[in-house]
Amino acid sequence: QGTNLTVSGLQQDTGAPVEVTADSLQVDQAAGSAVFTGNVLIVQGTMRLAAAEVRVAYAKAADGTPDTGTIDSMTATGGVTLATATEAAEAAEAVYSPQSGDLVMTGDVLLTQGGNSVSGQTLTIDLDTGAGRMDGRVKTVLQTGTAGGN
Amino acid sequence: MATHDNIHSRLVAWLKVILPLAALALLSTLFLVSRGIAPEDALPYSEVDVEELAREPRLTAPRYAGVTLDGAALSVTAEVARPDVGGAGQASATALTARLETPDGVTTDIAASDGQLDTAAGLLTLTGDVRIAASSGYAITTGALTAALDQTLLTSPGAVVATAPMGRIDAGAMQLTSQDGDYVLVFNGGVKLVYEPRN
Repeated sequence: QGTNLTVSGLQQDTGAPVEVTADSLQVDQAAGSAVFTGNVLIVQGTMRLAAAEVRVAYAKAADGTPDTGTIDSMTATGGVTLATATEAAEAAEAVYSPQSGDLVMTGDVLLTQGGNSVSGQTLTIDLDTGAGRMDGRVKTVLQTGTAGGN
Repeated sequence: MATHDNIHSRLVAWLKVILPLAALALLSTLFLVSRGIAPEDALPYSEVDVEELAREPRLTAPRYAGVTLDGAALSVTAEVARPDVGGAGQASATALTARLETPDGVTTDIAASDGQLDTAAGLLTLTGDVRIAASSGYAITTGALTAALDQTLLTSPGAVVATAPMGRIDAGAMQLTSQDGDYVLVFNGGVKLVYEPRN
C-alpha cells in the first residue's frame, strides 16, 4: 500500500541550474557517459542530494545517439541523503531526472518532515508540484502535538 | 656680324643664345641642385639578426609525428624549435599545436604558446595558456599540460576549466588516458559542474 504525502520543501523550479560537485569525474569519450565519484553533492534550488557516486545518463538524440548536451537522469548510489529546507530523506539509491523533475528514492527510505517521519521502500517525488508517494511497507510515526509538529 | 633685317634670322639668333642657357640650367638641377645620395640606405637590408641566426641552431616550422602504443596518432607542429643544450633529443619550441587522433574516433587538438619536447623521456610539456579542444565537445583551458609520446596520457596537474556539452566544469586536475581500450577523460582534485536544464 502507498501513502500520498506532500513534500512541500521540495516543491521548486526544476528549471534552476543544477550544480554537481564531487571529488572526481570520469567521462568516457566515445560513449559520452559521465560518472561522478567521491562524496558527490547535487544542488538545485533548495534541494541538496548527497551520494557516494552519481552516474549521468544522457537523453537520446533524434537519431538514437546520446545527446551529451541534455541530461536524462542522474543515478545516485552508495547511500543517498536528501536535504531541503524543511525535510530530510535517506535511501540506498536515488534517480533524479532534471528534465521531468521526478526524484525516485529506493531502498529503506526514511523521510522526516518536521516531527513526523515516514519510512518505506520507494519514495517518488514530483519536484514540480512537491507531491510525494511512499510505497512498500510504509510506517509512519506522527509527532503528536507536544513537540509542535509542522 | 651683319645685322639681320628679317624676323626669322633675328629669332634664330636669339634662340641660339637662350636654348643653350636653358640646357645648362636643366643640367645643373640634375647635378648641382639635386639632393645628396646617401650611399648606406641604398640597399634595404632585412632586420633578421644574422649573428643570432648563425650562433643558435633552430628549426622553423618543425613537425613531430608518432603513434602511441595503444594506436593513437600524435602529431606536433610548432613555429620555431631550438634544440636544448641540456641533452640529446630535447628541444624547446614556441607556438605549438598538437593533434591526437585516438582509435575511438575522437580528435583532440591542443594549442599552447610554448613547450618542451624530450624524446629521450618520451614527454612533451606544454605551458602557457594551453587550450584543448576535443571533438567530443569538450573545450578545456589549463596552465600546463604534459603529453606522453609513447602512450596516450595527457595530464594537466594544474586547475582546469572545461566547457562540456552539458555545462561548465571546474576541476583541480585533468587526465586523458586509455583504460582497457576506451579513452577516458578524468577530472579530479575537486570537480564542479553547472548544468542548465533545457526543458
